[in-house]
Amino acid sequence: MSTGTESMPEDATDRVDELADLLGSRALTREDHVNAPGFVVNPGDVQDVLFDLREKAGYDHCSCVTAQQYEDRFETIYHLKKYADPTDEVSIVVPTPLDEPVSQSAEPVYRTADWHEREAYDLVGIEYEDHPDLRRILLPETWQGHPLSASYDQEKPQVVTLSEHANPLEPDHEDPESDTMFLNVGPHHPATHGVLHVKTVLDGETIAHIEPDIGYLHRCEEQMCQQGTYRHQIMPYPDRWDYVSSGLLNEWAYARAIEDLAEIEVPEYAQIIRTLGSELCRIASHMLALGTFALDVYGEFTATFMYTFRDRELVQDILEDLTGQRMMFNYFRVGGVAWDLPEPREEFFEQTRDFLDELPAKVAEYNDLITTNEIFQTRCIDTGVLEPDVAKDYGCTGPVARGSGVDYDLRRDDPYGYYENLEWDVVTRDGCDNYARVLCRMEEVEESAKIVEQCLDVLEGWPEDDREVQANVPRTLKPDADAEVYRAVEAAKGELGIYIRSDGTDKPGRFKIRSPCFSNLQALEEMSQGEYIPDLIASLGSLDIVLGEVDR
Amino acid sequence: MSAVTPLQNGDTVLLPERIADLTGLGEFGVAGELLAAFLGAFVIANLMMAMTGVAGPWAKRKITAAFTDRIAVNHLGPAGIFIIVADAVRLLSKENIIPENADRPAYDLAPIVIAGSALLGFAVIPMGSGIHLADPEVGLVFVFAVAGIASIGLVMAGYASGNKYSMLGGLRAVAQNVAYEIPLVVTGMSVVLFAGSLQMGTIVEAQAQPLVDLGVVSIPSWYALVNPFAFVLFLIANFAEVGRNPFDMPEAPAELIAGYQTEYSSVYFVLVYLGEFLHIFLGGAIIATIFLGGPAGPGPAELGIVWFLLKIWAVFLLTQWLRSAIPRVRIDQLIEIGWKGLLVLSFANLALTAAIVGVIA
Repeated sequence: MSTGTESMPEDATDRVDELADLLGSRALTREDHVNAPGFVVNPGDVQDVLFDLREKAGYDHCSCVTAQQYEDRFETIYHLKKYADPTDEVSIVVPTPLDEPVSQSAEPVYRTADWHEREAYDLVGIEYEDHPDLRRILLPETWQGHPLSASYDQEKPQVVTLSEHANPLEPDHEDPESDTMFLNVGPHHPATHGVLHVKTVLDGETIAHIEPDIGYLHRCEEQMCQQGTYRHQIMPYPDRWDYVSSGLLNEWAYARAIEDLAEIEVPEYAQIIRTLGSELCRIASHMLALGTFALDVYGEFTATFMYTFRDRELVQDILEDLTGQRMMFNYFRVGGVAWDLPEPREEFFEQTRDFLDELPAKVAEYNDLITTNEIFQTRCIDTGVLEPDVAKDYGCTGPVARGSGVDYDLRRDDPYGYYENLEWDVVTRDGCDNYARVLCRMEEVEESAKIVEQCLDVLEGWPEDDREVQANVPRTLKPDADAEVYRAVEAAKGELGIYIRSDGTDKPGRFKIRSPCFSNLQALEEMSQGEYIPDLIASLGSLDIVLGEVDR
Repeated sequence: MSAVTPLQNGDTVLLPERIADLTGLGEFGVAGELLAAFLGAFVIANLMMAMTGVAGPWAKRKITAAFTDRIAVNHLGPAGIFIIVADAVRLLSKENIIPENADRPAYDLAPIVIAGSALLGFAVIPMGSGIHLADPEVGLVFVFAVAGIASIGLVMAGYASGNKYSMLGGLRAVAQNVAYEIPLVVTGMSVVLFAGSLQMGTIVEAQAQPLVDLGVVSIPSWYALVNPFAFVLFLIANFAEVGRNPFDMPEAPAELIAGYQTEYSSVYFVLVYLGEFLHIFLGGAIIATIFLGGPAGPGPAELGIVWFLLKIWAVFLLTQWLRSAIPRVRIDQLIEIGWKGLLVLSFANLALTAAIVGVIA
């Protein structure tokens, strides 16, 4: 189970030793994952160990929970990080026997583990003791078996008829004793940004309780990736996770994980193109977030929505020229990108620069239209409040965390690509409210524009005979058996992480996606408790979730 | 600019009388007068509904498109104007889906109440060019009273649909209308202090007096110019009354799907929508009448109706502009603005106006 040991720098070795001391006899064995040291602990020690790691060693970010089945055991992996330094990682591996896959829940230590463990239970079949609400999360309640477990019959179709499904209108939602009203917001509702179902309990116009019900857009993305070969068959899928124009950012998540796992060195020129494309995607994605948020706060006739789409269209055109596609780019390759910049290059540079030149005026227009509007401010300031500690507890990342003053951006804190060589700032806001999150995104658009501009400068001056867009990657990639890696990039919505376990073949043994929207959405309940319905809608909009990524 | 009104004192000829004279119906006594009145009402109702027909499927789309950088309908006829015909056919031929839990006949009556209450209001509005159905002494109060009936329609629609979103929308609509009707009426009363009458004809007439004479042009004493403060207050309260941004809470599609009209389809939907537009136009008509000199405008008195309709459309344009540019407030903020802001301001305005009028008189 442990391979991929590389010679670690000395301070890293010290750190691991310190952790080993902290865990003492609770750490049964050590594992070495490509990204982090791993400690194997007993299912009964989980809370104890995680609590110590959070309180004494400062691992305050439970980034992801991966569950998988081996031939002889189930395994849960808690990927822990620090918000202050995401390169300081540790994996806690919890094996459970096949006949009794029961493990302690991490939910009392990290709130975010709630949904992650429900997903692990749903898809793999591990049960978590002490979990507040261990139900299926992605699949319907009526589903038989756990699709990613070994005993599951993949060939057998399961048709769940409408009448067998839980009926959201069932009379048991009516409580004659109470003054509250149960209301289904979604799955078909103008403001849910996709098929999200929020079970809402209202006290007048005030939110008494909400519970997001997800899974309507579950498309077995993890399993589809497990059935594809590393080299070419997986890369098209990431475009379909966060499908609103952040495709390249998602592709990078997979590219980074597999390149680290297979030790592939990406040419610098390709990294610059990747950085350029990704930041364009971020601009497009944030424009859309801004526009749809305006829809939620202004109503469906707002001019802002059309303005943001008008400007996003320009980015889409540039991306289309670069990748040949408008949304489903499939442009990254393992070890580089598919092809060089479009010819004639000057035209591409000019088009992109034109867009960048006009951007400041447009941002100013948005500020005139939106952020300086007094009604907008009364609607957004101090609503949907997400305190920094709560944000961390829920594993929030991206503009949602940065809007709460959590200074966390993987582009800077865990550098990859070409970001290290460029001048730009991480935007944070202390407002913790809907307004702060919106401003955060608007300012990030400007920062992204800076990055794009610098990339263009570098690309323009790049020697013509050194334009290597792909590393030399073997036709068939077969990483060492049992090598494990968890790698994340800063996607439009936050930390998009990929866990891959190799089983020695050319397809992943386990492919796990850590979706930023999934974690961010969990915080919605905390944000909207006690506020009004319009605030719930605004908070949901300011979280900027894409259900394709939440449900995968 | 010389403000001319066809309603000179003493020789006010109302539309039913004119019809009676023209057709000779007056000779048939009460029955003839009744028929003439009915004919007059028919003409005005149809004029207003035709305007709604233009506004709903076409003008609104074009206006919003202009604000939001789009083109909108442009395939059928010049500037897409014939979309009105296509939409009429489409809307009328749709299946009318009535929810299982609908509380009938309240569910069926609500659209009629909403549309009907607005139409009733036009009865006392002097539209110029002799188009004026009735001029009772309590004209202004009558307009407010019948427009207020719409609240019943809204709560009926919200309650009878058997849908929680409709219910919330209906409740919001009523809370909003109650909160804003009072400032609306109180501000309207400040105009009455100036004019000294509730009669629409007299109010329009009073505004024909020159406010400032600049030799070549004489600026009429439209109450919007005499008391801009009241005008602004009335405009704001009116937006809340007709449920448009920033006060479009009762529908708030992002929150409540479509509020009280969620469950209405086909002809009922058309009626509810028609009612909404009629209310916007009625709001515009009241504003035009009591603040903008009614049908007054340059040129011969026969052009009165043109000026009057222009003024109504100007108010309509303003509502669409606000829809494109202004966020909606939250329901609690709306109620707060209504009770703590507008109500106080409107009473202050009334007291101020009373003082001014008292001093001058």
